[in-house]
Amino acid sequence: MDSALIEISEFIQAIPPMDLLPSNIIEQVVKEISICYVRRGQSLPPEGIVEKNLYILRKGALSYTTENKELLGKYSEGDICTAFCLNNNDKAKVTSDEDTLLYSINYNNFHQLVNEYPDVLAFFQQTSEQRLNKKMLQVNEDAILNSSLLNSSIAHFCHDPVVTVSPDTSIQQAAILMTEQGFSCLVIIQNNQLLGIVTDKDIRRRCVAQGLGIDQPVSAIMTDDMTTIDIKSTAYDALMMMTQKHIHHLPVTANSELKGMVTVTDLMNNEGQNAVNITSVIHKAKSVDELTEISSMIPKLQIRMAKLGTTADHVGKSISAITMAFTIRLIEMAEKLLGPPPVPYAWLAAGSQGRQEQFAHSDQDNALIISNDMQPQHGYWFKDLATFVSDGLAACGFIYCPGNVMATNPQWCQTQKKWSQYFAQWINTPEPKALIHCSTFFDLITVYGESSLLEQVRVKMLKKTRSSTLFIAHLSRNALNLRPPLGFFRDFVLIQDGENKATLDLKHNGIAPIVDLARIYALSEGISSVNTIERLKQAAGTPSLTKASAANLIDAYEFLSMLRMMHQANKLQQGQQPNNYLSPKEISKLEREHLKDAFKVIKTMQDSRQSTY
Amino acid sequence: MLNHHPLTRWLVGLEAQRKRMLKKAPAGPLRDFLSVPFPPLYTPLNHIPILAVDFETTGLDAVQDKLLSVGCVELSNNQIKLGSSYHQIINTKGSLKANNVTIHQITDDQKDQGKPLAEVVEQLLKRLAGRVMLVHFARIERQFLRQACLELYGMAPPFPIIDTLVVAKRRLDKRDVAYDPSELRLLALRAKYDLPEHYAHNALNDAIATAELLLAQVSERGENIPLQQLIL
Repeated sequence: MDSALIEISEFIQAIPPMDLLPSNIIEQVVKEISICYVRRGQSLPPEGIVEKNLYILRKGALSYTTENKELLGKYSEGDICTAFCLNNNDKAKVTSDEDTLLYSINYNNFHQLVNEYPDVLAFFQQTSEQRLNKKMLQVNEDAILNSSLLNSSIAHFCHDPVVTVSPDTSIQQAAILMTEQGFSCLVIIQNNQLLGIVTDKDIRRRCVAQGLGIDQPVSAIMTDDMTTIDIKSTAYDALMMMTQKHIHHLPVTANSELKGMVTVTDLMNNEGQNAVNITSVIHKAKSVDELTEISSMIPKLQIRMAKLGTTADHVGKSISAITMAFTIRLIEMAEKLLGPPPVPYAWLAAGSQGRQEQFAHSDQDNALIISNDMQPQHGYWFKDLATFVSDGLAACGFIYCPGNVMATNPQWCQTQKKWSQYFAQWINTPEPKALIHCSTFFDLITVYGESSLLEQVRVKMLKKTRSSTLFIAHLSRNALNLRPPLGFFRDFVLIQDGENKATLDLKHNGIAPIVDLARIYALSEGISSVNTIERLKQAAGTPSLTKASAANLIDAYEFLSMLRMMHQANKLQQGQQPNNYLSPKEISKLEREHLKDAFKVIKTMQDSRQSTY
Repeated sequence: MLNHHPLTRWLVGLEAQRKRMLKKAPAGPLRDFLSVPFPPLYTPLNHIPILAVDFETTGLDAVQDKLLSVGCVELSNNQIKLGSSYHQIINTKGSLKANNVTIHQITDDQKDQGKPLAEVVEQLLKRLAGRVMLVHFARIERQFLRQACLELYGMAPPFPIIDTLVVAKRRLDKRDVAYDPSELRLLALRAKYDLPEHYAHNALNDAIATAELLLAQVSERGENIPLQQLIL
């Protein structure tokens, strides 16, 4: 064949399912090609084509939308548009986003050529059903979205009234009351003060199993450091709290007055297979193998949530909550294996998990903080714990941290005193290079164990950061190294070569700079939150950050995170490893303009940071 | 009205020349070519039968240098029909200059297996009958084709031609801004329209590339341009 057509043949042959065809068939397919040019904004089929054709994109981009202009999909270079192959009453529209060069092929002729290749034909015949399927899925997803925990106030879930008793009520009376009312828990109050909570489980564990008399006061078996939630919170916050504290009942208060009770069952009944469900399955898992199996649901959950139109904030929090549940379950397993901890300790999460901004396939960033009572011989217990848990997390798809920020690293498995020293050193004698590596530790949270260990360190740390201008200056300088990719006239500067050629690095050029800025504002204002949006909200109106700038940064952050989430969901859906490299072609013109705006916000805030220090 | 337009007169001249020459032409490929009328000037682009043509040659002088290969493809109804593509290497006399081989990549061996000039020109004229010839930088194709016809039939017929270089040049001249002539090269113009990179210096490849360029150029104008605005 002529070399001109060889070039086109090679292009066609590289596109699945055409790669299943032998060269001689490809050669005939190429002869069927008519090259068309569709100007941006025009719809397909190109003028003058009435036959049923399939279209292969040689260059450019197409959007596939419903009659109401809802986006169903995008085609880019090397994609096959099958929307016009078959007779269907589909009212979907295909329009070109850019000037587009198409290879159009008469579908009937193509059908005859590939008649003996059922796998190839199947590809073209399945698509209409797939499209229908996609639509149905969308309808279901909309239904789920409307009931999403994030959008529901806790007020819609809680039971009202709650059964309350005084602390001197006998255990038997309490049990009778619970049985009569059909409640699995009671709240103990005295003079309108909440004293504690008693659940079915407490009666079983702390009374019957211990041989405690049923005439004893209920206060003897109640949990007194009770966690409550404010009625203005979302159902999602309740889930987070339950996951973190590993509890199933949460009293709801308004102005510290008891208003009702919400249980994990209430939340679970509301949603189907989702974050709540997965965490509850994790708590019941009996082995690492079981956990591994459950972990395969995480990418699917992420895709689902992304396609639901859930905010990236919500997805990040859900995935973080699930990672937390995995970690807690693994620690419980380890403690069962190793015996109780020799001294109090806490398992900490750093980085994106700490900030609750984690996505599927993140690496694990963790650490241990141990009571100062720790003796040298206790080291083995913690080393074994760390190894068991991080191996378990790795088995569940959370890869070992490339920077070795892990509890298994002796450097990050230390006493409270040592952690205080670390922070003191980082803040008092900051070295720019060291700060790059330690910034992740300014985003720590307690996943399991004695949370006061970390919080005491944090209070001291924040006191120091507020007054250390040198430290803040060094941190700022590091943060300014990552610049948004905007060139002259606000056009994108794309990655020039390598595997990710002509893409934007959303993480390093967009999301990370905002995370860094938020950390700087938080540390200079002594804000204890680690979540980026929380930090920005709390820093708004302080000398570090005006309210308007905070609002702009939050918008930019949410938009960039949303783009990354959609990009990753698409990758996951195609069975590929999710990454942060977005091709500008993946997104609409409008989104591109938004993206430029988001970058501009970052740039403005970085510039003002630069002039401050 | 149309008849007063200089281009019209020129094309009417082409049509008149065609009729005059038809009477004198010897039987064979040339007369067959001349017996089909050229498309009228008011024909809108999507109804103009077009043949995109490209030649590879041993040099730029139509008298001294030789035709090496011919590539062409039909463009009709704004669609480039790959099924109609034709590519042929010509068995020219004499061996090739080394510095030239690096451009067109046709080796002596390939050339020796090519077909005689008469046969290739006959094939080309058959495809050109009733069509407008589309080329990029018309001088080469027009002169070499005329020269080949003179050698083979003793006379050279008129050819209606669209030149994508001239289409681009007219646009640039209208803007009255200085430009670098290298902007008018096929590769540069294709890049400007974001057309994919192609393997240049193969006659068929360049013919397809030229046809794609024309589609991009006219699509920019938005309307269905009549032949008279495009023709050389």
